[in-house]
Amino acid sequence: MIDIKKTYKNYVDGKYVRSESGKTYTKELKNEFYELPLTSRKDIRDTVTSSKSGFIKWNGLTPYTRMQILYRLSEMIEGNKESYIELLVSHGMSKQKASKDIALAIESIIWFAGLADKWEQLAGNLNPVSEEYFNISHQNPIGVVFSLSNSTVSLNNLLLSLLPPLTIGCSVISYSEESSVLALKFAEDINNSDFPPGSLNILTGKFENILDDVSKHVEINLVALHKEIENDGLKRIQENASSSVKRVVSLPSISGLSSILPYLETKTVWHPKGT
Amino acid sequence: MVDWQYSESIESSDIVSIKKKYSNYIGGKFVEPKSKKYINTISPSTEELLSKVPLSNEQDINSAVKSAKEGLEVWSKLTPNQRSRYLFKIARLIQERSREFAVLESLDGGKPIKESRDFDLPQVAANFFYFAGWADKLDLSWATKSLKPYGVVGQIIPWNFPLLMLAWKIAPALATGNTVVLKPAETTPLTALLFAEICEKAGLPSGVVNIVTGDGSTGSLIVNHKDINKIAFTGSTQVGKLIQKSLAGRDVGLTLELGGKAANIVYEDAAIDQAVEGVVNGIFFNQGHVCCAGSRLLLQESIHDQFVKKLEKRMQSLRVGNPLDKNTDIGAINSKEQLDKITSLVNEGVDDGGELFQTECELPGNGFWFRPTLFTNVQPSYSIAREEIFGPVLTTLTFRTPEEAVEIANNTEYGLSAGVWTEKGSKILWTADRLDAGVVWANTFNKFDPSSPFGGYKESGFGREGGRHGLLSYLKASS
Repeated sequence: MIDIKKTYKNYVDGKYVRSESGKTYTKELKNEFYELPLTSRKDIRDTVTSSKSGFIKWNGLTPYTRMQILYRLSEMIEGNKESYIELLVSHGMSKQKASKDIALAIESIIWFAGLADKWEQLAGNLNPVSEEYFNISHQNPIGVVFSLSNSTVSLNNLLLSLLPPLTIGCSVISYSEESSVLALKFAEDINNSDFPPGSLNILTGKFENILDDVSKHVEINLVALHKEIENDGLKRIQENASSSVKRVVSLPSISGLSSILPYLETKTVWHPKGT
Repeated sequence: MVDWQYSESIESSDIVSIKKKYSNYIGGKFVEPKSKKYINTISPSTEELLSKVPLSNEQDINSAVKSAKEGLEVWSKLTPNQRSRYLFKIARLIQERSREFAVLESLDGGKPIKESRDFDLPQVAANFFYFAGWADKLDLSWATKSLKPYGVVGQIIPWNFPLLMLAWKIAPALATGNTVVLKPAETTPLTALLFAEICEKAGLPSGVVNIVTGDGSTGSLIVNHKDINKIAFTGSTQVGKLIQKSLAGRDVGLTLELGGKAANIVYEDAAIDQAVEGVVNGIFFNQGHVCCAGSRLLLQESIHDQFVKKLEKRMQSLRVGNPLDKNTDIGAINSKEQLDKITSLVNEGVDDGGELFQTECELPGNGFWFRPTLFTNVQPSYSIAREEIFGPVLTTLTFRTPEEAVEIANNTEYGLSAGVWTEKGSKILWTADRLDAGVVWANTFNKFDPSSPFGGYKESGFGREGGRHGLLSYLKASS
């Protein structure tokens, strides 16, 4: 009997979609060929529109709810553990390493889920100003984050490239080149975890094709690069970004408090004290 | 209206002795520029020549950066407690010579003495005191595994708060273990050069602070120097973008504190007289040469006429004139160039259809001056409602609902500051939560403190200055 092969599509605004360009690129896994969406400029624009509204919805939830949705994601992955391991093995990873990767991935989600309702306490504070004022610095998530995932095929790496901004309320466009099949499989678990549409969009393709579109797009607030871009590419991204003072982070921290710092905007509010 | 007659009360400038010519401060010494070129610095209130300062070239910047690298060797080997003591000492020395600095600041920059004396200088000293105390507590500041200084930091500062911006830059940079090459603005270099004397008196190790003067070309040499590890810039968004572009592809840290077009939202349930005072302070403080100035007044429709009437009356009592007169509220515009820019934007506002109100006051014959100005009947699309004027010019827009106020307030590429006026606490918090601005002043405006982080969202830049958050502008955090 012939096996049924899964068709992988981008995950945008809570839906599985092909690239509007109709273009794909081929990835071979265990003698099976997968045609993956080759994201176009138009796809990026559509995704940003979704991420903008996704940001409002996701950030509008209480930290308590965001925490539970992230925890729900760990439940989904736990339930599908075997299929992830199988997929990683088909990428050439040993079964033992694959199991370890999934275990670490779940551990990462648990860590960040628990941070969702605590990071403001860790990153904000009252300021002891020298006059009769109440003065507090608290944080807002920066908005729409484009995250280019690591070239290593690893669920844990993929998660660590999107969890820091996602946890604090940013919407994330996660873009994968090498780990595209894994990312698109992961989209199924996002879909089952009650994330509001647009809060986490998953795209695949060749980054070089959309490098300029992403770095010039004024409604992407931050570009996070989790893999080395050959120097000219990074230069181009940063040059493009300067036209709208866009934030670009290259190989940012992916653990601990330092992992969320690039995605925060600190807002300080003053009010006089008096009778 | 009562015609209040004030007697002049001029602060003596005897306390200041201005040299005919200044040198750069590099490696703990005052050295003549290798460029052999100088630029004039004038008093914007009289147009008289005050002095000449170096127009530093590549060789000058090379030696300043080299000196900062050498200074880093020494500075990084000191204990945090020793670094802390140097900063405390600098703070005290500034306090002791505070009046001298204040007079020089007003002479060179044109700001009223009551502001340089009562705002700038106390804040300068307070910044050094505040960061002095952090120098030996960095390990307690953020719960990250590692916090490391960048190394040699290039700092480029503007002309609106010359010495205060220097303090905002140098105090945290030194407290976190960096050394600096600082370039003051072309039109206001003198207090930075006087600060160099303080460093000398404090016995600061040579090379830890280097001060080089010049124009935009000098700033560009600092930005493009291969041995600079981080740039901190305060100035216009336009120049900030150029700096960000110049640093593309290079492993150099960057923080930018850029322009603004702050909305000052007055709800109908605000304490109106208090709000009028706050709005006046928000835009006319320091001649409106303030990146976080409340330059867009957003009035709820129901109070528009009443508010504008009170505002015009209050504006009429503002005294424009000699910065050294202790009665002066509004001093000189910092330069001819800035005056031309303000004039041109105001003319554009009138041509667009804005209704202009300017106070009736006599302006001095020499120097650069601009009357306190209010625009009403303005559409959000007008240049005066969108562009940073950086002068004593307030633009009024109206709104009907809180949602609309927030939408108008956020409808700008800037996001530095905002003001909210209402007596209803829940409305303050609701509004503050929705404003895309790094600083929100509620029932107050233009308040600053070294412990309070300052910096912008969006095209107003990135990074914070002041407070615990300000440390992160000079430390690399990792885990």
